[in-house]
Amino acid sequence: MSVVRDMLASFAGFFARVGALTRFFLRLLWLTPSGLRRPRLVVEQVYNAGALSLVIIMTSGLFVGMVMGLQGYDLLSRIGSEDSLGIGAALTLLKELGPVVTSLLFAGRAGTSIASEIGLMRATDQLSAMEIMAVDPMRRVVLPRFLGGVISMPLLTAIFVAISLYGVQLIGVQYFGIDQGQFWSEMRGAVEIEDVREGLIKGLVFGLACSLIAVFEGYNAEPTAEGVGRATTRTVVVSSVATLVLDYIVTAILL
Amino acid sequence: MSSYSRSANGGTPVARADDIAVLEGVHYSVDDKPIFRGLDIAIRRGHITAIMGPSGTGKTTLLRLITGQILADRGTVVVDGSDVAKLSRNGLYALRRRMGMLFQNGALLTDIDVFENVAFPLREHAKLPERLVSTLVLTKLHAVGLRGAAHLLPRQLSGGMARRVALARAIVMDPDILIYDEPFAGLDPISMGVVMRLIRSLNDALGISSIVVTHDVQEVAQIADLSYILSEGQVVARGTPRELRDHPSPIVHQFMDGLADGPVPFHYPAPDYYQQLLHAPEARP
Repeated sequence: MSVVRDMLASFAGFFARVGALTRFFLRLLWLTPSGLRRPRLVVEQVYNAGALSLVIIMTSGLFVGMVMGLQGYDLLSRIGSEDSLGIGAALTLLKELGPVVTSLLFAGRAGTSIASEIGLMRATDQLSAMEIMAVDPMRRVVLPRFLGGVISMPLLTAIFVAISLYGVQLIGVQYFGIDQGQFWSEMRGAVEIEDVREGLIKGLVFGLACSLIAVFEGYNAEPTAEGVGRATTRTVVVSSVATLVLDYIVTAILL
Repeated sequence: MSSYSRSANGGTPVARADDIAVLEGVHYSVDDKPIFRGLDIAIRRGHITAIMGPSGTGKTTLLRLITGQILADRGTVVVDGSDVAKLSRNGLYALRRRMGMLFQNGALLTDIDVFENVAFPLREHAKLPERLVSTLVLTKLHAVGLRGAAHLLPRQLSGGMARRVALARAIVMDPDILIYDEPFAGLDPISMGVVMRLIRSLNDALGISSIVVTHDVQEVAQIADLSYILSEGQVVARGTPRELRDHPSPIVHQFMDGLADGPVPFHYPAPDYYQQLLHAPEARP
């Protein structure tokens, strides 16, 4: 009986949290027009979430592309189609790997940073001080970080894909000697604008989900060192799972 | 003799027209644990009112009720003529713009420097020319003696300095009510003296009504016009510091004299000491 009771309590807790997250999201949407009237705050957060993530995104992108080059060339050479390396890599990166890996990296770098920063502001009474100063923390702290993340993710996805393609080219063309012209022209011929759009839509959706989870967890963190730590961990775990689940849903819709 | 001498007991204060904040019959519980059970407090306009009591008596909760961060389960909290529970979000924010609060840890925004911390409420609420913002901020920083620290980040400040910067930020909008949450906690004697003098001089010079939540009896006795002592969810005594020192209540006597044991026991409720030692397990489960 106690197992059933615990399961019911877990389900109730899960749905209560989903409900709270939904209300939080609706409040952010309601506040968004006023947030956009203060672009300086949003630009600061695009810098924090986006520009400061560039090094990890570009480094990871380069190595992911190089590994794809090695594996792809090995696979395609078995069937004598190594010239198609560019097409395969471009479609894989644009439609799947780019948005998903960028989102996972974003959750680990920017998501944890956002959640821990807001959580620490809660723990050190900075959010309460704002409320007493008649400044709404949702509008002043949470919203710019949310919008900054949403704007950054598609941009980071595009940069990740571009650097990864360069990595594929390094291995395929420079190392294995595939013809440079053929590599790029076949890619240009096969990749449609819809493929690029699919990648950017996924980047936007993942960015929205990861940013929402990060600000929600940080804002609702227990105001203790342990609470902030838990919120940060939850941000990475929930964002990662949400990315993979949303990837399936968006792919199913767009295909 | 003070005008409060007749009320040096735990009885219900009579709300007057010049009270800036009045709490009447306030009940408040957290997770079914009662914090206040019929609390009655009146804060006089233009005076320094101290709220004292042992740890855990809900002093900070009282401030949260006055600022409208939480609402009473029963009873009324009226601040500057407005019933806090009946205010809309905009109304509450309008009321808070007439308040300043000094948090125990200062609660400075850690990513901006001292100048920007003090300028923060001005930038959020008033579209003032930069030159005027600068003048106002430097004036307030000068008042707390930290004009020269305007460029420092909060992490570069000592505890006492951080609290003085927070005080400058609290008065930058020229509030009617200034609320201090444990302003002396953790300060060295010099910083404590500085903060004490600032509370008194700001109150007198700016005509502010001050509410000081503290358990530093000796310090607050030097600056408070009226003190309340809370215990078990109610006011057990009120009056001037001198009146409280002569109060007959054992709990007031214990609190004012800093006695370790009394109505507030030294030991947290526990089983019999010797029995527990005799039957102590080899390793804690």
